[in-house]
Amino acid sequence: MIRTALAMAGLGGLVVVFCTVLGGTALVTGTGVLAESGLRSHVAADRLAGADVVVTAPQTVHQDEDLSVALPERAVLPAALVSELASLPGVTSATGDLTFPVAVTDPAVVPLAGHGWSSVTLPGAASITGVPPTRPGEVALSADALPGARLGGDVQLMAGGHPGRYRVTALVGKPGAAHVPPSRQRDPGSLRPDAYFSDATAATLAGRDAGPRKGTVDLVALRGGGRPEALAQEVRRHLGDRYEVATGAGKGDAEVPGAAASRALLLVISGSLAGITLLVVGFVIAGALSLSITRQRRDLALLRAAGATPRQVRGLVAAQGVAGALLALAPGAALGYLLAGRFGDLLTGLGALPARLELTWSPLPAVAAVLLMLAVVRVSAWACSLRASRMPAVAAVSEAQSEPRTPSPVRARAGVLLIVATVPLSSVPLFVRSDAGAAGTALTGVLAVIGLGLSGPWLVQRGAGLLAGRLPDRLPAPAWLAVANAHGHALRTAGAVAALGMVVTLTLGYTLTQTTVMAAAANDLAEGTRADLTLTAPALGGLPRGLLAQVRAAPGVAAATATATTTVLSPYREDGRTKIDSSPALVLGPDAEGLVDLGVTKGGLSGLTGATIAVADRSAVVGEERPLILGDGTRVRARVVATYARGLGFGSVVLSRDLAAGHTTTSLDDAVLVRLAGAEPLAAAWPGVEVSKGPAGGGVGRVPPEVWVNLALLAVLLGYVLVTVANRLVASTAGRGAELAALRRVGATPGQLRAMLRGEALLVAVAAVGGGVLLSAVPLGLLGLGFLGRPWPAGPGWLLPATALAVGVIAWLAHELPGRRLLRMT
Amino acid sequence: MSVVTLGNVTKRYGERVALDDVSLEIPRGRFLAVMGPSGSGKSTLLHCAAGLDVPTSGSVVLGGVDIGELTETRRTVLRRKHVGFVFQSYNLLPALTVEQNLTLPLRLAGTGADRAWLRALVDRVGLGDRLRHRPAELSGGQQQRAAIVRALAARPDVVFADEPTGALDLRSAREVLDLLRELVDELGQTVVMVTHDPAAAARAHEVLVMADGRPVEVLPQPSPEALATRLTSLGSRLTPVGGS
Repeated sequence: MIRTALAMAGLGGLVVVFCTVLGGTALVTGTGVLAESGLRSHVAADRLAGADVVVTAPQTVHQDEDLSVALPERAVLPAALVSELASLPGVTSATGDLTFPVAVTDPAVVPLAGHGWSSVTLPGAASITGVPPTRPGEVALSADALPGARLGGDVQLMAGGHPGRYRVTALVGKPGAAHVPPSRQRDPGSLRPDAYFSDATAATLAGRDAGPRKGTVDLVALRGGGRPEALAQEVRRHLGDRYEVATGAGKGDAEVPGAAASRALLLVISGSLAGITLLVVGFVIAGALSLSITRQRRDLALLRAAGATPRQVRGLVAAQGVAGALLALAPGAALGYLLAGRFGDLLTGLGALPARLELTWSPLPAVAAVLLMLAVVRVSAWACSLRASRMPAVAAVSEAQSEPRTPSPVRARAGVLLIVATVPLSSVPLFVRSDAGAAGTALTGVLAVIGLGLSGPWLVQRGAGLLAGRLPDRLPAPAWLAVANAHGHALRTAGAVAALGMVVTLTLGYTLTQTTVMAAAANDLAEGTRADLTLTAPALGGLPRGLLAQVRAAPGVAAATATATTTVLSPYREDGRTKIDSSPALVLGPDAEGLVDLGVTKGGLSGLTGATIAVADRSAVVGEERPLILGDGTRVRARVVATYARGLGFGSVVLSRDLAAGHTTTSLDDAVLVRLAGAEPLAAAWPGVEVSKGPAGGGVGRVPPEVWVNLALLAVLLGYVLVTVANRLVASTAGRGAELAALRRVGATPGQLRAMLRGEALLVAVAAVGGGVLLSAVPLGLLGLGFLGRPWPAGPGWLLPATALAVGVIAWLAHELPGRRLLRMT
Repeated sequence: MSVVTLGNVTKRYGERVALDDVSLEIPRGRFLAVMGPSGSGKSTLLHCAAGLDVPTSGSVVLGGVDIGELTETRRTVLRRKHVGFVFQSYNLLPALTVEQNLTLPLRLAGTGADRAWLRALVDRVGLGDRLRHRPAELSGGQQQRAAIVRALAARPDVVFADEPTGALDLRSAREVLDLLRELVDELGQTVVMVTHDPAAAARAHEVLVMADGRPVEVLPQPSPEALATRLTSLGSRLTPVGGS
């Protein structure tokens, strides 16, 4: 049976199935690795390696029937817990640990991480030379912090936003401490050299001796004699579920909550990738199988005539598909792991993912991909063989001989319905002006192309029929034949048109959606930023505390305000379940008015004091109270004082500075926006502070790494589609030997047949580009209307011609090369 | 005067000799049948004479030109002008309508169709109401009659027919043979037909009998019975006659 199946499929059919399944398995496995890493990966525990058990405040917020949302800002716990836990049986030592940004500012800026002296042994056995810092002006440095540092010498530090001179009392050697390249220093999870202060000084510098975080620590690290897991049990029994108790790999997440939270990005990416990948892979595999089966319809019909039951025919077809697929599964999965690794590197390189966050490698994604692929192949094979297997044997033979089939009207109607159904879907950007609103645009284009694939044969037959009726009588025979073939072999032509049309909509839809959203955000930022300069200090871990006052006092400055970015979670009820929406939020004070123009529609920014917010939500009412969860998990109720329009550029929520104070990890500002008086440049300069023109800072409006990731994914997906489409077209042309031979006998010269094939390629390319453009025009036009106020998207002008050219070249090569080979043989 | 002249034509397929030094003149305005056992070279003879294939050695003069000298394209053009061909399997293109199939050779030649001539032919073979149909919607006999019209559309010097009745039932076969004979008798067309059916061959003016790649004899207007006997004796012989 298998032998028969393989013999009938022929090498061409098997190769097409093999290639599509290979790529499909790779894409699904890769997506799976990203998804699994989003769920299960851990930041490597470095600084807490020496602790047995780490206790932190909860760093996640629960939502019903969904994954918990990770909090990017450090949730603190009371310092009193340290002594409480120290008295537990089995605990030999308990350390309240703090981390705050520190940087050497002279002679060069070197970012450090500040801690209290009691944390010095948390990474493990340390080699300490010198004496512990005990007074406010003393510090102990990692040996790798500053090459010139020596015991007893002075260093100029910016610690917790406070500048000061410190005497080095000790140097701490840390085995295996890695040098951090400058490109990674902005990475929140990257390892920085440590600076240790006396515990009291550290608490002051970290803002724990007064203010909203008075008397708190970041985490409590415990050590005991026995097994860490047993100790963790003991601690959990004592604390209940108020706090998180971590051991082993989980300690890494406790160490850098921001880095741990960023792995949620992996889930977002894999989630958005999964839908489109499965759609495309399913479409491509179904197309490949249908091509392979159409080529042997006659053989299948003869098998039926020779006594094969419909079930046996379906089994045979399925065996072919599975055989082609089985060969591809293992290399495909291997390729998928490779692909995921490359993507991880890309994300890390973009700064979207901390370098310390390692992808999770398990066989799970490969197993899932393999099962999924086999299922897709089985279902596609079954659907493709249904027609040949169900009809009476005699009818099957005669139908197989009457080659051009009439396209099924049911199929055509289903396709048209699908295309029509995408129109309301693509109108979402008109009403939701956010990334989420734009998310569906590209997908609707792809769905519409699948509709085109269904209704294609009928459309092609009609279109080519109309064209054939209008052709001038003296048209050269090859051109006339090309049109007649497109009309007569509508199924074959439509398959090629839909596959290439998919390339066009994928490219246009995905790229232009990204560029349009980016353009809209850039517009928002450009129109909304009234500042001439933006001051940031990424190397210092945040802006020095006195900087805003100094900037305001500097000559030439007309106005200045400080901003920060954080994350805010909005709980909402959906079908009686609690859900959480996470969005980036800008922190502004009432003094932002005149420097930042959010496009306020109701209320005003001057009211941004106390527990207040502004929202980019048209339905919001000024004065209403909204429940919010701040980045560290604190639940608050905030009054809406303004609504604004430029949510794409500035984020959907703006928090008042008062509300955000004490709820961010560093509690430092990220940027100072400055408006200059006249043409006078800013005269003053501060070490470690970068000055940029225009709206560079703020962080909310810059090109999000997801854009690059999406474009990179698009490239991979496109490569897959292109290879499989070319493969399929070549197989389709290569199957036309008999037809070309018949034409040769009737009197066509080889040149005429080559011209005919070129004509068909041209028709296919024009129809694919035309159809693809038409189908992406609606969603992209609506996106442009919603986001830019004009009915076309923003993006590079060369994209469409380049795509059309690529499609044309592929169509031409896929007809020309196998055609030449066939003509040499006849 | 002959339409096609074969001079010392030999055709080899690898080791196998399909035509062995054949010289033949096909006279104008006659219905010639070619018979012989399987493998006697009758189809190869037809393909070489029609310019569908090139001989390994020897000359085939068609329309005054030796086709052995021509490129593939020039040979196709010459064939289009001088030769009509009718195949056992009709060779109608399934994607085209009957009418499109009929005019296809003319389109390929870049000459306009002689509408009146085509109309007359179509009416004569009784396909006037089937022009917009696809070949698959026609019976075998109708398809073969359409193929004959196509072969005649360019007014060729000679029509070659390779087992034209091989796939047809008795009635359809008789209709097709009647048609071929009428073309010769009424229009002065030259027809060369390969067949292994003695009854079909009996409708021709002469029957050329072939064996082992060579013409053995020419029988003028033989009866089907005489032909059958002659063929049986040829088929049962173990040693080649006249072969070297």
